[in-house]
Amino acid sequence: MSVEASTRLGTGYTGSLSAALVKHLIIFAVFLTIWEMANRTGIADPLLMPRPTDIVQSIWRIYVTQGNVWLHLWITFQEAMLGCAAGIVIGVSLGVAAVLSDSFRDFLKPYVILIECTPRIAVGPIFVAWMGFGMGSKIALAALVCFFAPFVNTMTGLLGFDEESEELFRSMGATRRQIFWRLMIPTAAPAMGASFKLAVGAAFGGALVAEFISAQNGMGILMARYTMSLNMPSAFAGLLSITLYGFILFRMTEYLDYRALYWRDDDLMAKKSLKRKAKWERTMG
Amino acid sequence: MSAVDDTNIDEILESEFKTPYAQRMMIHTLTFLVLIGGWELASFLGYLNELIMPPPSWIAFRLYEMFFVTGSIYWHFFVTMFEATFGFIIGVSIGLSLAITAAISPVFRRYWAPYAVVFNVTPGIALAPFIIAWFGFGWSSKIALAALNAFFPVFINVLTGLLFVDKDMTELFNSLRANRRQYFWKLQIPSSLPITIAGLKLGMTTALIGAIVAEFFSATEGVGILMQRFAFRLNMDGAFATLINMSLMGLTLFTIMEYMDYKVLFWRRHKRMEEVSAKRKARWTMD
Repeated sequence: MSVEASTRLGTGYTGSLSAALVKHLIIFAVFLTIWEMANRTGIADPLLMPRPTDIVQSIWRIYVTQGNVWLHLWITFQEAMLGCAAGIVIGVSLGVAAVLSDSFRDFLKPYVILIECTPRIAVGPIFVAWMGFGMGSKIALAALVCFFAPFVNTMTGLLGFDEESEELFRSMGATRRQIFWRLMIPTAAPAMGASFKLAVGAAFGGALVAEFISAQNGMGILMARYTMSLNMPSAFAGLLSITLYGFILFRMTEYLDYRALYWRDDDLMAKKSLKRKAKWERTMG
Repeated sequence: MSAVDDTNIDEILESEFKTPYAQRMMIHTLTFLVLIGGWELASFLGYLNELIMPPPSWIAFRLYEMFFVTGSIYWHFFVTMFEATFGFIIGVSIGLSLAITAAISPVFRRYWAPYAVVFNVTPGIALAPFIIAWFGFGWSSKIALAALNAFFPVFINVLTGLLFVDKDMTELFNSLRANRRQYFWKLQIPSSLPITIAGLKLGMTTALIGAIVAEFFSATEGVGILMQRFAFRLNMDGAFATLINMSLMGLTLFTIMEYMDYKVLFWRRHKRMEEVSAKRKARWTMD
């Protein structure tokens, strides 16, 4: 099931978008008020569910007054992005190699099943023991956690091309290289794009877990420190930051996917076609 | 983590192979032995630092010790398995009920499904410190994190399966005057089964990951804390042996899930489809 389908799940709006937004905001405001009141009257324990006003104060503090969250965000961002890039490169190369060479695919098969069901995140402590407390272990764990989705999707995508299209290519005398770059890669592109989205999320999670295990800087250890000292408002503020962060990363990847696979949207396709037509006419005279 | 395609990776890897099974098995075993032998040799000759990359013989010895001599692994194994499966069951129950409610009632769906989708993007394991702070150091925090991790894939997948039913089938049911209950039990549930089972598989693996990550944080028993202890004392052969144990655990759960997939989604495999059809035909013609 793809992520695109899941984003359509909330639909069912019969009114305009702004009306729905206002309704949601009202519900959210009511929810916050109930939360706040429960805390003030002593029904809810402030350790478990800190007051929204406290959380807002903490957000202000960590972002503006103390400003300590920026460093941690930047470090976690670096670890997640580098790990994601490494994982994607490894996953895609393995997938391509598995498709191009039958013997390699045969060789890889039992290991793939083994890797699929091992909890890869459990290798975290081993990486920390090998690479020490710096960023290397976080990047390595993020890469390990996220390489699988691109690998599997690249392989399924590359092998999922249309038989008739391949016959057409061969009847026009296309070389193996041309078939690969012009048929298999575009067929695989949607699946690869979906897997990149998953990889970004997974790398982010992997970086956070590696930070939990042992780190000096990073959002994971920041949240861990706050919860361990039972400074719940700041911990919640950190959690909200992470949620927002993950959401932004996800949307960015979605947008890149949207631009790269231009043929899936009519407007982009039309623009691209016009550009190519202009270039063709220039070269052809 | 949202749900992944439910393509059968086995079929992809299995396609276009003409050599017989036994021969391929032999080649696999030989390659594996060559790899292990090379590793052992490199360690023997001193190329690999024993602290960082222990030779396979040490790992094997440690496994033997853990399983047969001290027997210490069984309790940890059981603890983590229990936490993961119990958390999985809780997560699945909550996920199923919420998803079915959301599928049946558009009002509920309109107001609650967006939150689920947004929170799905956050890695559930990021909540580990909170869960430890809320539930304390005992088993319940691990079960809670496993349940949280299992909830999201199951919820999203079941909801998608129940909502996106084939339009032609819906029209057929309507034209035959099926009421809401029949529509639910006879069309929505069966057509959502493939995606639901894929979600359950994903939920199981993420529940195991959740239990292990919660153990990293604060535990006295369980495979996760065992591995962390070994690794932090630079007892690498123990850490690798524990990793192999975790693979075994994952493999067991995976096999259980695959078996369920085999039994429930019988129409996806040609041979199994024939078996079930023959059985049903026999039962039908006997009446």
